[in-house]
Amino acid sequence: MSERIYLLPLWIRLWHWTNALLIILLMITGISLHFADPKLPLVEFSLAARLHQIGGLALVALYALFVVANIVSGNWWQYVPKPPGVLARCWVQAKWYMGGIFRGEPHPYRVSEEANFNALQAISYWVIMYMIMPVMLLSGLVFLFPDFAPDRLFGLDGLLPVAILHYVTGAAIVLFMIIHVYLGTTGATVTSMFKTMINGWHEH
Amino acid sequence: MLASWRQTIVVLLLGGWGLSAFAGGDAPIDTATIELNRKANEACYACHSAAGIAKPPKAGLDLSKLKDSRLEPPVFNPSDHGVMDCRECHSKTHYNDYPHAEAGKTSTVGCTECHAAKVLRLEPQFNASVHAKVKGVKEKFTCFTCHDPHINIVQKRLKDPAKIVAQDNHGCLECHNSSETFAKFAPEGEKTPGQKKARPDIDTIHDWLPNTRAHWKSVRCIECHTPEVAEAKMLSHEILNKEKAEKKCLTCHSANSTLKVRLYRHMVKDEQQKYGFTNSVILSNSYVIGATRHPLLDNILIGLAGLTLLGVLAHGAVRIIAAMGRKGKE
Repeated sequence: MSERIYLLPLWIRLWHWTNALLIILLMITGISLHFADPKLPLVEFSLAARLHQIGGLALVALYALFVVANIVSGNWWQYVPKPPGVLARCWVQAKWYMGGIFRGEPHPYRVSEEANFNALQAISYWVIMYMIMPVMLLSGLVFLFPDFAPDRLFGLDGLLPVAILHYVTGAAIVLFMIIHVYLGTTGATVTSMFKTMINGWHEH
Repeated sequence: MLASWRQTIVVLLLGGWGLSAFAGGDAPIDTATIELNRKANEACYACHSAAGIAKPPKAGLDLSKLKDSRLEPPVFNPSDHGVMDCRECHSKTHYNDYPHAEAGKTSTVGCTECHAAKVLRLEPQFNASVHAKVKGVKEKFTCFTCHDPHINIVQKRLKDPAKIVAQDNHGCLECHNSSETFAKFAPEGEKTPGQKKARPDIDTIHDWLPNTRAHWKSVRCIECHTPEVAEAKMLSHEILNKEKAEKKCLTCHSANSTLKVRLYRHMVKDEQQKYGFTNSVILSNSYVIGATRHPLLDNILIGLAGLTLLGVLAHGAVRIIAAMGRKGKE
């Protein structure tokens, strides 16, 4: 049996899967709203609108919990890429994804209780969770309360830039999710990382 | 009845409107005639205005009656009929002198006198309308019930969709959002014989519609409560009840949005693809999800999603093939 460490406390796992379910719900309903077309097999518009609002508000609440829990538990430190040599470690990681992984070379970074993420992971999670996600949530809230949006901009409705920000950041999170799910298969075995997210134990 | 609050709303809506030179889209009236008419109307405003009520030109006027028939030049003048002499409709015979002859009340000229062709065309539509189908209601309805000739401005002249929405929805909500006014027209309730039908709560009956209040600010009730309309055609005067009204969101919330031939029909000659947006004419007033998209941005994001999926699938496939190769060597 391979060596394993207890990596992820229950609250992180619960947050992760709730976050994942909400993102999937918001992705499906968001696509149904933005690409609304009677010829496409999408969720019925008024249902999609209600689900998107409820899911969006739930995600805002969950994000607030995530930020507070990260501060209280000190978990926020995991997302900070630690110098020196951050870029060099990112390059080593990228090279492994581009070549070493195909040759069956061992993972270049050994996960520890002190540092859960490799440098690429830390940077991408930090960008997604602390830069893109807040913009998506805030623009979604303005969508919900459009009185906060500018009245007009360049002769068009002032809600337009808010809508574009929401759309682009939402799309960025969907792209991240596709890559994130796939990279989840690159652990010691194809399923080991998914198991870690369920039981909290990481297999080296 | 011209209540003061209503006039205030319209003054705010129309703020700064210039001289109008058309009466209801008919032939233009020359400036000299307009000036003459407005001069003549000053005699009416001497009593029938806020200033007249505050400082009546004669002693012994019944001010309570004046309050119900007051009007202000900044409201009337920009309206479609604002170029006319008040006595064109309010009998010259009975309103030249004070006190006005009692017969004046019943001799006001009806809309048909000038708009006969339009009335003839619209009457069958109105007769099919929910307002004509409910027993005892049709008789209480005139054009004036929904269209106030002292205030209203046609869509083509009003131009700003927000102002069009506010004006037209005011006509509906004046009854449907006021139990007092609704009761004046309400038939006997089916379940309450001898009693008038209670006004259904407007929020409750629209609770299926997400962001109800946001819709009422951005579109007119008649966008959903009138039958389908062909391009460049006027909206029908057949007001549909809740069973027949449009409930398919995609009628407006899609690239082929019907709003183009409804609320925005007067802007049909404007640029429709400004900055590359689909239905940019609608976007000039409202971001309508599903309708006001940017095809280039959509294509870029769909392309990126496709490439990402292809990328991870290809990476996975190479991993599998490489792993099989390694196993074969072992």
